[in-house]
Amino acid sequence: MSEELKNITNNIMEQIDKGKIKMKPKIYFIIGSIITFFGLISSMIVSIFLIGLIRFSIRSNGRMAQYRFDQILSNFPWWTTIFAIISLIIGIWLIRKYDFSYKKKNVTIILGFILAIIITGYTIDAIGLNDTLLHRGPMQGMMQNYFKGNKIQVQDEYMMNK
Amino acid sequence: MTLKDKELTDEELVDKIITSDKNLYVIIIERYEKKLIRYANNLIKDKNKAIDVVQESFIKAFIDLNNFDIKKKFSSWIYRIVHNQVINIIKKYHKETPLLEGWDFKSEENIEENFEIKEIKEKVEKCLKNIPFLYREPLSLYYIDEKSYEEISYILRIPIGTVATHINRAKKLMKKICQKN
Repeated sequence: MSEELKNITNNIMEQIDKGKIKMKPKIYFIIGSIITFFGLISSMIVSIFLIGLIRFSIRSNGRMAQYRFDQILSNFPWWTTIFAIISLIIGIWLIRKYDFSYKKKNVTIILGFILAIIITGYTIDAIGLNDTLLHRGPMQGMMQNYFKGNKIQVQDEYMMNK
Repeated sequence: MTLKDKELTDEELVDKIITSDKNLYVIIIERYEKKLIRYANNLIKDKNKAIDVVQESFIKAFIDLNNFDIKKKFSSWIYRIVHNQVINIIKKYHKETPLLEGWDFKSEENIEENFEIKEIKEKVEKCLKNIPFLYREPLSLYYIDEKSYEEISYILRIPIGTVATHINRAKKLMKKICQKN
């Protein structure tokens, strides 16, 4: 055993001395952390926005929306659902990269993350931020094009007054 | 390398390796290689593969040394790397079938009542090869490597509660299996 141990030590130290094994610079890990952080934030923002958009599109089918289920289905932005799910999966995968995440059970993290996103998306839509985006924000063009393209009638006070 | 260097803590050594003298890494290797080979061997039950795993782990650790937070425990970090390498080996060779989480054991007896504390380490090592991987690893870390629940939680990336559950189940299973043999 001692000979084997000696071999491991010699082999590794020889590779270090010859420069075959090099330490990755600190900046490599800092950039990695920054990319992970922004990836997580982006996936959260995309999921929240898409969940808001889903709720908004359901709401925008008019006052009798519950009786127009077929119209909702045909106009429903299914791509948002797919992208929302993909963003959620990416978000969960990224959150698992953080050191604190292993202290909680997987189920808790996944459910907590999904719930937080849905609640935030719902709240943003409830306080009217999506309506603001529709008329003024950076997503104005995208949202209006979507609703025009699908001939969806937007039911909110701002549009009614216009 | 001086005698003083050998008295440094792991974390102080790592700091010195990163900032001034990479040759001090030899002290880290000497401190851990034996323990890590035993740990890997307990898990994969193949001495040659265990040696390869440990060598690869030391190389990986050196490459990623700048990613180690010196405020944390180096020993847990290096064990974590070995754990990952072992998992890769197991996936590669498909040798192991982890026991399902839902497994339960009827015995409520306390294993410590039957085993003398000093003997436990020895018995665990003998018994370990018959225990499924899911329980073998926490048991090995707890009894043989004398890691705390918190350290095991960090190494295996599972909550402390799960560590406790796995160790309790492992004790019961060990008692069952070892008494049979």
